[in-house]
Amino acid sequence: MSFFKQNITLFGADIPWLEGLREKARAAFERCGLPNAKTEAWKYSYFKEEELGAPQIDDTPHECDGHCGESENLPFAAIEIKYCNGKLTHIARDLPRGVIIRPLYEAITDGEIKPYLNKSFDLNEFPFAALNTAFLDEGLLIIITADTMANMPIYLHYHQHAGMNRLCNIRNVIVCEKGAKATIIEHFDGESNAQYFNNIVNEIYVGTGAILRHYKRQDEASKAHHTALNSVQVKAGGHYNSLIVHGECALARSESYVRLLQENAGAEINGAYRLTHNGVSDITTNIRHLAQHTASDQLVKGVLDGAAKGVFQGQIHIAPDAQQTTGYQLHRALVLSDAAEVDCKPELEIFADDVKCSHGAASGDLDAEQLFYMQARGIPLDEARQILIEAYLNEVFAKTEDSAVAGWLSENICPSR
Amino acid sequence: MTEKLLEIKGLCAGVAEGGKEIIKGLDLSVKAGETHAIMGPNGAGKSTLSYVLTGKPDYVVTGGTMHFCGHDLTSLKPEERAALGIFLSMQAPVEIPGVTTQNFLKHAVNAVRKYNNLPELDAAEFLKLLRTKAKEFEVSAEMLKREINVGFSGGEKKRLEILQLSLLQPKLAILDEADSGLDIDALKIVANGVNQWRAADNALLIITHHIDLLRQIKPDFVHIYADGRIVKTGDMALAEELETGGYKNYLDEAQ
Repeated sequence: MSFFKQNITLFGADIPWLEGLREKARAAFERCGLPNAKTEAWKYSYFKEEELGAPQIDDTPHECDGHCGESENLPFAAIEIKYCNGKLTHIARDLPRGVIIRPLYEAITDGEIKPYLNKSFDLNEFPFAALNTAFLDEGLLIIITADTMANMPIYLHYHQHAGMNRLCNIRNVIVCEKGAKATIIEHFDGESNAQYFNNIVNEIYVGTGAILRHYKRQDEASKAHHTALNSVQVKAGGHYNSLIVHGECALARSESYVRLLQENAGAEINGAYRLTHNGVSDITTNIRHLAQHTASDQLVKGVLDGAAKGVFQGQIHIAPDAQQTTGYQLHRALVLSDAAEVDCKPELEIFADDVKCSHGAASGDLDAEQLFYMQARGIPLDEARQILIEAYLNEVFAKTEDSAVAGWLSENICPSR
Repeated sequence: MTEKLLEIKGLCAGVAEGGKEIIKGLDLSVKAGETHAIMGPNGAGKSTLSYVLTGKPDYVVTGGTMHFCGHDLTSLKPEERAALGIFLSMQAPVEIPGVTTQNFLKHAVNAVRKYNNLPELDAAEFLKLLRTKAKEFEVSAEMLKREINVGFSGGEKKRLEILQLSLLQPKLAILDEADSGLDIDALKIVANGVNQWRAADNALLIITHHIDLLRQIKPDFVHIYADGRIVKTGDMALAEELETGGYKNYLDEAQ
């Protein structure tokens, strides 16, 4: 594992608790090793060393053509943040009252991040999060202070230029305090010939009665590899609402590990993916109902063509005390070619007796009667297929409240929506 | 000489899978300005004829020829046949969840225009056209926003089919059991819509086993279709005769 052995200087080597954490993470990653076909949680989609092509952490200062601070042309107003080649290069100025956004190194140096950093998951269970922690260097602390209604979404753009094959470990800690409301939008993209490995960890804390919407659009370069862990904790009456959109790259995995800690906490995880060549999309969820009256809902839909592969692994765990909880899950996929593959693994672990839980999975082809009806009205077969595919995925995007955001999220995988 | 729109000679066709032959040597010639009715008992393969003419992939032509405005239909895709001017109103219009009626109609109108080298309509132009036509056929704005045919009543579906006929302005309309599931008022809207569209340069082929719609549309020719071909051709009097005598005599003839 070349990227593990890399000998580089990270920031804050003189901060003992930070070095201690990195050391612990290194040990955890060494124990787990890279997941492979025999690792249950990764058996359908794992990163192969030969395909990763020995990515390296870039420890030189960021150099770019100078465009990485420029504003995006977004169809909605947003607080913009940029990562270029894995380095934090821009944070919007004049933040609204109650919104705090700080670089990771700052929040580590003065210790503000300490109550949250690496407090939401176990390093031994998430090998890439362990790797991320071992090389902890880049990232952000975002705090939406109590009762703040942040109307403007916070938009994080991760862009990659071609050049060296980079391993980018980025850690964002997002705290939505009691009664606050915010929207986080993440966008990943790269130059078409860029090869890199994005290894993202977001630790997300949703406070009592807080509402956090978290949208992700993954348009990585075709040779890119991507893995992200969203490790989420939700307190009483809080709500975490997420939509994950995967376009096609070599392999992208988005894993949501959500713990509903207290009564009336809720989570909604939706996903849409569309792959047409030979990429892999993996959406993995693990929702843990740890208190009574908690609720979760998941809808993930995908469209696969060519030799692409789609993976959905959805775990719902209901603890013995978590009575009167609801947990719903549905994964559906359109499989449009013989070489495409879909793997679906629902897992329900229910230890309470008064719960409503369901899961469903279905895969199929486009409806021949619908296609013919459209053709009989003059619509060419290819166009008819596109219309049906986008209609199929539309059910997921329709769940997003803001239609400008929904339209933008669907832009890449539903171009004519 | 009046233009020949549709010319079918010795047509044999069947189900693509399994190869069962359903149409067994059918001849039919339809000229511009004419209305033809094809009547026949259930299960005779009347719908098969409409699907074979429009190119549904479930069926194959095994013999004979069919030409539309000089084009060999067998070499054309369903969407090409539609764009050239063949319109099929299906017995059971298909529901398409996730696609609004309005959006569907815009795609259809522009696809046909594009094929015929006409400029596509932009959103405003299309909406103007749609609103005018929708009003004529009592299709509400609310209906246009709903997913196409999803949860529509029988009458709503048929009215929408006639709206499509009016929007697409085909040369030949095939109405397959356009009257099924309709009450008297809805039947009148359908009949009026069809009558309004009829002109000297287009033609109508009605497939039915009910006489009610024919009384309102008044075909020039009535064909009795049994066992895969046309066994007798007459005028409206033949349809009236069937109403009292039934198909029995003609079925025996076909055997």
